[in-house]
Amino acid sequence: MSDVVETKRSRKQATGRYGAVGKVMGELDDRLGVAKGGRSFLDKIFPDHWSFMLGEIALYSFVVLLATGVFLSLYYIPSSAIVTYHGSYLPLDGQSMTESFASTVNLSFAVRAGLLMRQMHHWAADIFIGSMVVHMARVFFTGAFRKPRELNWTIGVTLLTLAIVNGFLGYSLPDDLVSGTGIRIAYSIILSVPVVGTYLAFFIFGGNFPGTAVIPRFFILHVLVVPGIMLALVTAHMILLVRQKHTQFPGEGKTESNVVGSPLFPVFMAKTTGFMLIVTGVTALLGAFAQINPIWQFGPYDAARISYAVQPDWYMGFLDGALRIFPSWSFHSFGHTIPFEVTIPAVIFPGLVFGLAYAWPAIERRVTKDNAIHNLLDRPSSRPKRTAAGAAVLAAMSMLFIASSTDVIANFFHVSLNTVLWSMRVLVLISPFVAYPIAYKIASEMNATRGAGRRKTVNVVSRTEEGEYVATSAPAYADDVAHDLAPTPVPDFIEATTPEQPPSDGVRTIER
Amino acid sequence: MSDQHERRTPVSLTGLREDDPHLQPAARNPRLVERVIALTFLVGLALVVGFGAAYWVNATPWILGATMGGGLFFLGVGLVAWGKYLMARGPFVEERHPLASSDSDRNAFAAAIVERGGGTVKRRKVLGGLLGGGLGAFSIVALFPLLRSLGPLPKGTLFHTDWRAGSYAVDQTGRRIHVTDLAVGSIVTVFPEGTQNTDRGQAVDQTVLIRLSNENFTTQKGRESWGPMGYVAYSKLCTHLGCPVGLYEQQLQLLVCPCHQSMFNVNNGAIPEFGPAPRPLPQLPLYIDASGYIRSQSDYDQPVGPGFWERS
Amino acid sequence: MSVGTSLRLRLCAGGLVSLVILAPLAWFSAAGATTHPIYQTGRHDAGTPNSSVVVRKHGVVTSYGDGAIMYNAPSPALAALGRALYLQNCATCHGVDANGVPPAGTTGAYPNLVGLGPATIDFWIESGRMPAADPRSVQAMRRQPRLTHDQALAIAAWINSLAPSYPYIPTVNVKDANVANGAALFALNCAACHTIEGDGDALARSTFAPSLRNIPATQVAEAIRTGPGNMPRFTGNLSDFQVADIVKYVTTEIQHPRNPGGFGLGGLGPVAEGFVGLLIGVGGLALIGFWVGERQ
Repeated sequence: MSDVVETKRSRKQATGRYGAVGKVMGELDDRLGVAKGGRSFLDKIFPDHWSFMLGEIALYSFVVLLATGVFLSLYYIPSSAIVTYHGSYLPLDGQSMTESFASTVNLSFAVRAGLLMRQMHHWAADIFIGSMVVHMARVFFTGAFRKPRELNWTIGVTLLTLAIVNGFLGYSLPDDLVSGTGIRIAYSIILSVPVVGTYLAFFIFGGNFPGTAVIPRFFILHVLVVPGIMLALVTAHMILLVRQKHTQFPGEGKTESNVVGSPLFPVFMAKTTGFMLIVTGVTALLGAFAQINPIWQFGPYDAARISYAVQPDWYMGFLDGALRIFPSWSFHSFGHTIPFEVTIPAVIFPGLVFGLAYAWPAIERRVTKDNAIHNLLDRPSSRPKRTAAGAAVLAAMSMLFIASSTDVIANFFHVSLNTVLWSMRVLVLISPFVAYPIAYKIASEMNATRGAGRRKTVNVVSRTEEGEYVATSAPAYADDVAHDLAPTPVPDFIEATTPEQPPSDGVRTIER
Repeated sequence: MSDQHERRTPVSLTGLREDDPHLQPAARNPRLVERVIALTFLVGLALVVGFGAAYWVNATPWILGATMGGGLFFLGVGLVAWGKYLMARGPFVEERHPLASSDSDRNAFAAAIVERGGGTVKRRKVLGGLLGGGLGAFSIVALFPLLRSLGPLPKGTLFHTDWRAGSYAVDQTGRRIHVTDLAVGSIVTVFPEGTQNTDRGQAVDQTVLIRLSNENFTTQKGRESWGPMGYVAYSKLCTHLGCPVGLYEQQLQLLVCPCHQSMFNVNNGAIPEFGPAPRPLPQLPLYIDASGYIRSQSDYDQPVGPGFWERS
Repeated sequence: MSVGTSLRLRLCAGGLVSLVILAPLAWFSAAGATTHPIYQTGRHDAGTPNSSVVVRKHGVVTSYGDGAIMYNAPSPALAALGRALYLQNCATCHGVDANGVPPAGTTGAYPNLVGLGPATIDFWIESGRMPAADPRSVQAMRRQPRLTHDQALAIAAWINSLAPSYPYIPTVNVKDANVANGAALFALNCAACHTIEGDGDALARSTFAPSLRNIPATQVAEAIRTGPGNMPRFTGNLSDFQVADIVKYVTTEIQHPRNPGGFGLGGLGPVAEGFVGLLIGVGGLALIGFWVGERQ
């Protein structure tokens, strides 16, 4: 051996054409047989329309939540034991408080980067649920939930529900004045369930409110049980996505039986990893510059104290709004009370909303009798009824969300609180009925106008001899031909109306 | 960067020649883009190193966040730009293979379940039934101890507070309230003496004591003796969701719940006049003893706080 | 300006004189006081907590909390000037004799000012609420005061000369006050209306709890002791020590929050946080996603 001179080239030849990587891959393949599947996985094509990034925001803020959450759990103490605070924040010095509150203040002020991590965690939670909602809206309005992806829709709705629940649990853990009020309300909501409410409340809280069991219980739910389930569901969501391949918008070269986009490696990988860094970065920047949930100002929870302007985090807003505007209809009879003023807005109503979300794919399949496989997405305008239904629900939910800050609105605009409350009652009720026809009209108009939603189209308006105006859209470029604009063939659908003109002939007559 | 005019048909990734336009970078001027990305990475790197330094010297949170967030942000932007402008521009296409299996595979699968598995159970119906019964019984039986050990039964705890005949009204520091303590228009949160520092005292017994006038004050018929010397006491728990109704408006004579803005008329038995609360706040009958201290005649005449099934 | 400076001179000169003149006046109001003084709780005695230590100098009640707050009556020497200012600025509504006009439907319209105590008069004038911009409005707004500090004292002195009454104008000694105690008392007594961050909020029927962000210490103490407008009045249930604690908390932590976590988002709590999270967080990231992805 000693007489052979080792050079870089000779070493390279000895290890094969692809060097150390090739060698490791070879060894791996010998044992796991990954080469073939791995190759096709790296070649996997991901459509990269911008609207598909919304789900990625959710995914990566979940990652941020897990990472910052682990950091926080190292310093947070889930205990209702009463301690006296002697720390760096003087206005709390000498006050008695639960250990959970004291440890949250301590991790904010005494642990390096603790406050940053806490704020990042909270901002990431707000962004997580926000991007889930936006992602869900994208999936809904483009019909991505249709066969074969109903199961993934169901997983998504479950994830949203769990995220909201876990958000509330986490918001409760510091045991500060504002979140303690939230727990108090949650207790009363559970209490309002007919027949079993009191038992449920006593079992969950380990007795009457507040008790000492609730913080440790919420903690283990918040850091282990719920995120564990969510992690499993997120994984399933991704596996299904890979298995069923991503949907895509109709367009040049895109059909029901192919996927057009970038390969996983390296293009999509670079983009998505970069986006993950961006999401983390934006969360950290928010955590740096925008103060969130300053619990040291709120002080420890004490059931006899209360602050005005206490709102839950935004994703619980629709519930709080519903509770505010619902009239005081309580049922007393036969020796029993059913507090409908609580049960309906806080138990039955959210049940109906999420039930509707779960059931929507089945409902739509029943209405349209469309049982075909769909890999091409709808443009929202091409399904006016679905779009209008979604807009109606969103409008009502937004109004309920706004109703959760009636006092802030009244104060900001200097109007009577009572007036604001009554206006919100009216607005919540009429908003879906206003939103539906408007959205329907816009969608069907856009659908009827050829090339709607496309940039850089030119319309030539000409006047006929009878005095009728006719708009003809002209192609912007020589190669901008009509065939890729025509909606791809889809089965008979949720449509009631047919466009006034066949969409391909490019002429729309305005009736006079 | 990519030319709008120049559309390319998507191609499959395999078997492309190296000079295929699909494999070229999307940027028109890759050298320039490369420099910009390098600059972005440098800024990101500097900020990330700065984060380390900031952590080392224990800088204020916003510096920590700005360096860390900014660093990751710039690295991310650079990486995205790398992927978007300098890597193969595509578009590429891949076939979708139908997920459904062939009919024979489906049938074989169903047959395996129905004939092999189902047949086995059918032949041994008793065994299957017993096993199912056992597991079913366990899941039901397990539910009881699981739930039941979580907490005590409610029993009567929701129906009573700790106010008794003769309880002294004390504030949160435990000081007894004397008849001279409050001016007209004053409010104080009181507890039955001995409970002011307990969870239950604060969550259940909390009561607002308001002085409405200098003479006995009757808030409703039948409560003539409940408001001696203008001292009137109501449960501080909102009948809607149990928030403390600590918001007293002296001129409007309203108690307002800060959570959902129910408004209770203090002069008129705390009957809710606006908002979602369904019932008046229960009133605590008071008397003033010989030494001038405020005490309760008895417990509340009804359960305090939000509604529940067992409440009549 | 000239009025102000001459007043200040007169105040300095009349410092000792006023004490002597005040002595019999205070004797009158403290008459009948025993070791456990029982005041008839009414307008005349607001702000006289019997539970705290009453300090008298030469028979004048100077404090109810052993130095935590000093209460001083405005110099009676100012009464004549006060009357002139009163007739100019206040008499149209409250009447020439300051005994008010019976409310005509509106809550608290043109109330009787006699016996309200100098602190009340001082608070309403110095917070700019009086003379009222719109006497018919549901609630007077805080604004730039129309009268100077000395003019307010003069009016208070004249009204006080009609029927001497408590509370006098407080001077709060915040130096020795306990800010932690103040924070706890603030959460228990004040946060229900003014919010825990002191920003105020809308209350029933167009009334509102004002923001506490820019209120001088004296006015905080005056408001607590006199209960202006819809605010309840805190007398015997808060000692001067406790009031001083609250004043210290309000003038330090509420008015100058440290906001170690970045911008305070206006103290609007989860509402503002939700907007920032959705618009800047989700919206900003969606915009970046718009760049990352393809538009076709």
